[in-house]
Parts: sequence; C-alpha cells; structure tokens
Amino acid sequence: MDLLTSLFPWITNGPLIVVQVMSGLSVAMFLFLVSVGMSLIFGVTRIVNLAHGSFYMVGAYLLVTLVETLPQHPLMFWVALGLAPIGVGLLGGVIEVTLLRRIYHREPLLQLTLTFGLILVIGTAVLLVWGPDNKSVARPDALAGSVRIFGQPFPSYYLVVLALAPAVAVALWIIFYRTRWGMLIRAATVDREMLGALGVDVATLYTQVFVFGSWLAGFAGALSAPTVAVALGMDGDVLTTAFVVVVIGGLGSFAGSFISALLVGELQSFGILVFPAVSIVLLFAIMAVVLIVRPWGLLGRPEE
Amino acid sequence: MTTVRAVGWLVVLAGLLVLPLVLPSFLVVVMTEIAIVGLFATAFNLLMGFGGMVSFGHAAYFALGAYAAALLVKQAAWPMVLGLAVAPFAAAAGALFFGFFIVRLTHTYFAMLSLAFAQIVFTVVFKWKALTGGDDGILNVWPPEALKSPRAYCYFTFAVAGLAILALHAIVDSPFGMALRAIRENPRRARFIGVNVRRHQLFAFVLSGFFSGLAGGLFAFFNGSVFPDFAYLNKSFEPLVVALLGGIQSFFGPLAGALGFKILETVIARQWPVYWPLFLGTAVVVVVIALPQGFVGLLQRRAWRTPTAR
Amino acid sequence: MRPGIRSVLAVLVASVLIGVVLGPDHAGAQPKPIKIGEINSYSGVATVYTFPYKEGLALATKEINDAGGVLGRPLEFIHRDDKLKPDEAVKAARELVLQDKVDYLAGCISSSVGLAISAYAKDAKVLYFATHCQTSRLTWDDGHRYIAHTTNNVNQYVRVAAKKASTLPIKKWANISPDYEYGHNMWEEFSTYLKKLKPDVEFVQLNWPKLGETDHSSYITALLQSGAEGLFSSVWGAQSIAFVKQARPFGLFDKMRYVAPSVGNPDELDPLGKEAPVGAIATPFAWYDPGLHKLHPKLAAWTKKYTEWATAKGLKDPQPKLGASWGYASAYIIAEAIKRAKSTDTEKVIGALSEGFEMDFPWGKVIMRGCDQQALPPQWIGVVKLDAQGKPIAADVEEFQGKDVARSCDEVKELRAATAAKQKK
Repeated sequence: MDLLTSLFPWITNGPLIVVQVMSGLSVAMFLFLVSVGMSLIFGVTRIVNLAHGSFYMVGAYLLVTLVETLPQHPLMFWVALGLAPIGVGLLGGVIEVTLLRRIYHREPLLQLTLTFGLILVIGTAVLLVWGPDNKSVARPDALAGSVRIFGQPFPSYYLVVLALAPAVAVALWIIFYRTRWGMLIRAATVDREMLGALGVDVATLYTQVFVFGSWLAGFAGALSAPTVAVALGMDGDVLTTAFVVVVIGGLGSFAGSFISALLVGELQSFGILVFPAVSIVLLFAIMAVVLIVRPWGLLGRPEE
Repeated sequence: MTTVRAVGWLVVLAGLLVLPLVLPSFLVVVMTEIAIVGLFATAFNLLMGFGGMVSFGHAAYFALGAYAAALLVKQAAWPMVLGLAVAPFAAAAGALFFGFFIVRLTHTYFAMLSLAFAQIVFTVVFKWKALTGGDDGILNVWPPEALKSPRAYCYFTFAVAGLAILALHAIVDSPFGMALRAIRENPRRARFIGVNVRRHQLFAFVLSGFFSGLAGGLFAFFNGSVFPDFAYLNKSFEPLVVALLGGIQSFFGPLAGALGFKILETVIARQWPVYWPLFLGTAVVVVVIALPQGFVGLLQRRAWRTPTAR
Repeated sequence: MRPGIRSVLAVLVASVLIGVVLGPDHAGAQPKPIKIGEINSYSGVATVYTFPYKEGLALATKEINDAGGVLGRPLEFIHRDDKLKPDEAVKAARELVLQDKVDYLAGCISSSVGLAISAYAKDAKVLYFATHCQTSRLTWDDGHRYIAHTTNNVNQYVRVAAKKASTLPIKKWANISPDYEYGHNMWEEFSTYLKKLKPDVEFVQLNWPKLGETDHSSYITALLQSGAEGLFSSVWGAQSIAFVKQARPFGLFDKMRYVAPSVGNPDELDPLGKEAPVGAIATPFAWYDPGLHKLHPKLAAWTKKYTEWATAKGLKDPQPKLGASWGYASAYIIAEAIKRAKSTDTEKVIGALSEGFEMDFPWGKVIMRGCDQQALPPQWIGVVKLDAQGKPIAADVEEFQGKDVARSCDEVKELRAATAAKQKK
C-alpha cells in the first residue's frame, strides 16, 4: 500500500478521485456525442467525415451568437442550445446534397480528400464570420455554480451534462432499435445494395443520416461551448480525438463509440495524473494497435 | 526521344540553370521551395499513382527526415551534406516500421492507420522536448557558408532533388515499377503470377518514405529551423493536393502541380492570407468532384470494385 | 509530348504571367517610409493583448509621423499574422525581408516565435526588435547584436512575483504553464528565485498544457489532488481567461493561492469580470491605480488619449491595456534608436542601441540597456480585488524598477558564453 501511495499520492484521496472520474465522464460524454455522429455517417455512407470537427466548431460558435443575440432570459440558453445544432444539421444537409451525393460511387479516399477540403472551407468561413479572437459564453446562471460531491465542489454544469448524456444515449438507442427509420439505418450499415434493391430510397436515407450526424456534432459543440474557449482550431483538436474514439470503438458501431468514448475520456482525465508526458501518445498508440490487430474496431463489423 | 520532347527538356534545363541567376532573391527562394515540394509530391505519387496506395500520413517521413538532419547537424555536429545524406535513411526506417503494419490494410483503413502513425510521430516530436525542442522546434539549422545564399542553395536543391527525381523515374520504369503497377491494377492477378504483393508494397512504401525524408532534410536547411508542424495533418495533405492538381497519372504531374501550387500560394497567400485556405479547400473540392473518374479510376477501372448504393 | 511535360510548360507560362501582373506592390510615398515588418499573433489566444497592442503601436506611429517622422521619413509598420506558429513567422520574416525589403523586423508575442525570428534575423543580418514576447533567452542566453527587446522580460517581473510569493506562509507549490519556451522560462525563473529566497519550498506538481489548450478540466482535477497550497500559473491571454473560468467552479482558488503574473492585466481582468480570481497575486499594468497616478502625473492624459483613439478605431473595449502600452513604447523606442543613430543603416542603429539610452513614458522611465539591448521598464506587483462597482482591479500596487531585479550585464555575458560553449561541443 505504501508503495502505491508514494507512486500515486492521490490514491488515498477518495472524494478527489470521484471528482476526477466524473470529470473524465463529462469529457467522455462530449466525445461520445461527436463520435457517434461520425461513426453513424461512416457506417451508412462509408464516408469518413473529416469535417466533423468543423461541425462541432460551428455548433459552438452558433451557440455563442445565439446567446448574444437572443433576449436576456434564463431560458434563452436552452433555446439557443436547441437552435444551434439545427443550424449545423442544415449545413450538413446542404453539403451532402450538393457535394457528397456526386461522389458516393467513387473511391472512398476521394471522399476523404473532399471532406478535408471542407475543413479548410468551413474553417475560413468561421474566421470570416466570427473573427479571429476567442469567444466565450457563460454557463446559464442556474448552472454557473457548483455542487458538493463528498465535500468537494464540482461544477453544476458538468453534472447536467452527465445527466443529459445517458438520456441522449437512451434516446439514440430507441431511435436505432425501436423505430423503422433506425431499422433502415442498421440495415444500411450491413448491406446497402440489398436495401436499395428492396425499394428503399437510399439516397434520401443517406441525406437524413448525414444531417442527423451533423446535428449530433453541432449539439456536442454547443453543449461544450460554455465550458471551453470557443476558438478557431477547435475543429482540429476535436477531430483528432473523435477519430481515435471512432476507430477504437468501431466505425459504424453505436455501442462501440460509447465504450470507446468512456475509455478515452477517462484516459485523458487520469492520464495527466499518472503518465502526463505520455498520455497523448498513448491514445494514438492504442488507436494504431487496434487498427493493426482489429481494423474494424472493438465492436465494429469486418469489411466485406 | 522525339525532337519535340528533347527540345522541351532542354528548355526546362536551361530555365533551371539560368533563372536563379536572373530572378530576384525572393523568387529564387520560391523556386527552391517548388523543387522541395515537387520532390515530396513525386515520392508520394510513387505510392499513390503507381502503387495505388493513398497514404494520409506522409508528413511523418518528411518530418523524420527534417528532424534527423537537424539533430545530426546540431547535436552531433555533423557537416550538413552528411546529415542530409543520412536523413532519408531515418525516414526510411520509420517507413519500414510503420509500413510493415500499414500495407497489411487496404483503402480507408490503410489511410487511417497511416494517419494514426503520423499523429504519433507528431505528438512524440511535440512532447519529447529534451530531444526535439518541442513546440519551439530546433533553430539555427543553416547550410555551410558556401551554400547559404538563396541562389547557392537553390542550385544545390535543384541538383539533389533532380538526382532524386531521376532515381524515382528509374524506379518507376524498372521491373519493380512494372510489378508495382500490376499490383495496383489487380493484386490478385499479380499474386497469381508470382509477385510477392506485400513485399513489393512495403518496398514501395519505404522508397516513398526515403525520398520524402530527403525532401524534409532539404527543407530543414532551407528554412533554417524545424518544427513539429512538419508532421501534422496539413503537411500530409500537401503532396496529396499537389499531386492531384498536377495529375497523378503521369510521373511529372506532381512536379507540375508543385509549380502551379507554389505560384498560386505565393500570389494568393501574400495578397489575401485569410482566403488562402478557402481557395485551397475549394480547389480540392472542385478537383475531386470534377475528376471524371476516381483516383484509381483515372488509370484502369478495377474489375470487381463493388459499386456503392445509388 | 507526355501530359506531364505539357502541364509543366503551361503552368510555367501561366505563372510567369500571373507573377508579372500581380507582382510586388510599389509604394510611391514622397519621402520613402522606413518600413518595419511586424510579425505578431492576430488570431487565437493572443488577441486580447495584440489587438490593443496594434492600436498602441498605431497611436505612437501617428504621433511620431505627425511630428515629422524619423529623420524626416514616416514610420510604416507592415503587419503579418504568425498564428502563434514559429514556422509561419519564419516564412513571414523571409518574405518581409526578401520581397517587401523592410528595413527592420519587429514583433512577436509567442516566445517560441520570437526565438525563431531572432535566429532568422541573426542569419540574415537584419535588426529585429522583439516587442511583446517575454522569454529572457531572447537577449540573454540566445542574444546577439541583431536583436533588441523593447519591453521587459520574464526575469524582471517573475522575480518580483517570486519575492512576494516568498513572503507567504506557503511551502507546497504547483505549476500550470503552457508547454513552450515562455511557460518553461517562467517556471524556471520563478521556481529557482523562490527556492533561493525560501529554501524550504516544495514543488509538488508540474502541469504543462499545450499553448492554446481550450479545456483544462483534467489539469484542474489533477491540481486538486496535488496537495499544493499555492499555484503558479503562466497561462496567458484567452487561455488564462478560460482556465480561470473553468477552475472556479471546482473551488481551485479556495484551495490554493493563485500567483499568475499576467492575470492582473486589464487585458485579462476585464473579460473575466466578476469571475476574476480575487486574491490572486499578479504583476499588473494598473493604469487606473491612484498611487500610480501620483507617481506618474502624465499617465492620466495618456489614458485619455488612448481611450479616445481606441474608441475611434472601434475597439470593443477601448480602455487602456498592457498591450497598448507595449505597442506604444515599442514604436517610440524603435524611433529613438534610429534617431540616435542619425541613420537607418543597420550597423549604426545597433551602435546606438549598444550605447544604451533612457526614455520617459507616461508610466515611468524605461531604460534601454546597452550591453544586451534589453529594455528595463518599471515593474508592478498587485493583488486582484473587486472594486466598489464589482469590477476586477489590481490593488495594493507596488512599483519596482526593472534595473534593480534584472540580471547584471556580467551575468548576461556568462549566460551567452554558456550557450556558445554548448554549441561548440
């Protein structure tokens, strides 16, 4: 025990560990929201949407603007939170219909390149619209403070995120496993051609999936905006982490994204304590190992 | 070689010899950059256009070459030419190690694993401050006095890059290059006729990494400093975009792309720096959509590619 | 002809035409302006400082030019954005020197950028006035004749902060600083000087988020577990603002005393508003402090002038900021060096700098020291409080002189010799 305590002095500190775990959980929840959209889009359309981080960023910026322009009222934050992702979903829809539709039948790597081009376009657009300086948006007054967890203060806002996330996960599960639309999506993940042959309008399904995935990314961005600095470059940071989560969990697997997000979130949280210098490298190393040993991820489906 | 082609080559050669003498320093510097980017893109295209393998993490080998050259010169006090000569081997070693795993995958997974490895190189370089200087980079990496002036270094780069590109050309036209192209067309068929697909692909990967590292080394001394960003995603996309713009189906396409790209960048990024990424991104989107066939489709259509649902 | 060759020739022709049409612009001013290539970070975390800095620079430039310019020629700053990346800065420097043919280089806020530009300037033999970036290595360890530093360096204000920190009954210290030159330089200066003044201090945890990190929650929870009683922080700009906002609900500042040199500046306090870390020790530019006004009677007039200027320029918050004072001072120091050299010739200006001079500014006397071409302005230390209106200010402000805390010329000589020896090996 003494050896452990000297190596990891925090180990005897119960309440602080709880707070650390919970903080990691809230990071995981944001990651899950971003990754599940990316995973979903790949699962159905076979496109790895590199612009997903950009959608996240746009969601955050939209929230800032909405909060600034809407009248000052405690409920307005939630209105803004509802509206911002819709804007991102629309953006995703426009991109899918005008650009992606033309290249579905082509090399997947061409599609990857196109989404990379989109990163540059959307990034510049955000710069032109919102300017180069960092933005910040305050947490809604009711959630600006903290609650005590075993005597240790913990931000109320994170608590709400933690409560929201399982609700979102359950809602997604219901959509995917209990609705007809969700069934179509799952079917598309398994065999698109057959689905088309059975008379389903696969093109519209693709658009719907892309819009939904973008909405999820925008929602994650808007939700996280009060807790981070809203800045240009958010897209790159989120993309690299979401990418890791999606690859480890399995492209196309909903449960995989969930578990993988938890893993990565906690790793980031504890990584700083336990192996600070190495923690980021570790993330990519794990991703590489997964790709080598099991390229379709922990819970993904092997390619044909 | 036909007379037209020979004359064309002579014009180019004459241009390369004369232009650094007559152009202002600033443009000479741009020409040096074109040569370096052109080499990087041509090395990349060995893999993409001729091997049919698209790597999204080639910046890793560029950076390995750049850092190896910088470290050898700064820490081990080697002369620049020696450092530059050894740097590509460091990059090739990285390509061998990573490539071993990467070539076992195909298509999207190939691209993603190559990206993952490039990110690893980036984060290691970024975090290993003691060795690489981290975010501050390694500074004061200059060529010896004789090669320091923009003009001198331009000729030096032309010579080195020129030789490298000749070597790459020889590789592409060799039996190995033929086998590589056969593999790109139809790996199964190639296997049937006795070609060791994995070994060929890995060798191509290593060669591509080698020359990318050389480009990195040349850039290190050109820039006078190396930074972790040399291994970042944006740098990985540079040879891809350049090769795409210039045409991946021909050997000299990437060089043409490098020329056009750098000129555009010099003109646009200077006047409207904010709009350059927008322009580049739009160009990429337009090129991708306007190309009538996909990457591999530009060559011969793969027989059994499953069409995606439409 | 093979398609490749064809495209090469076509592009060659097209590009020559483009290059000719959109070639470098030619400024045809009456007396040729003195051109200074100014490279700085006008995006990201730095803008809370660099936007007011740019206005301070512009205000000073206008005053100088209205008064007849320097040696009868107007001063002209050509700005470039380095996006906090040394790579971009080197590229910009190269373009400014080779294409725009600037007379001097200036700028930087990121210390890594400053060092990178300095390396280029030394090689290109162009005089570089580092303005906003702070690492002591600029003019000391890695100093050379082609660099001058127009504002204070880390060593000066951190020593003042460490002195104050040593008076606190705190033994266990933790650190959170950005993982690049400046962050490491800050911690090194602070920790070694603190240890010298108070040998029984212990450093329990070191945290190095990347420059521009947006989410510090993992670092915050780690700090809570560290057992530290005091926290030294050199995160700055928008990153500092984000860190403070994220840390407050975790009760971090109730657990440990916050020592953060930059957080006392209005550039950071004003955006923080009522979320400011009350009780934090900082080295502020407290232009509003009545004690300072007593010491420097010209300060009030300057703040009025700057506020009017910034309002006219449409700055969201036109009140004076530290960045504004530094931009203002930098332009004047550059002008003074050229005036004293009686020429724009680089070697002559370096000669004028190496002789050293003093200038009076509204906030005190700034000494440009000749031996290392390093500025020694006044330093202040204060504690963050909320004023009667609930606005955060730095109070209990004490003033020190940079020259009293900075390393001596002999120490600088030793540092430079040590660097040279390391390079020879």
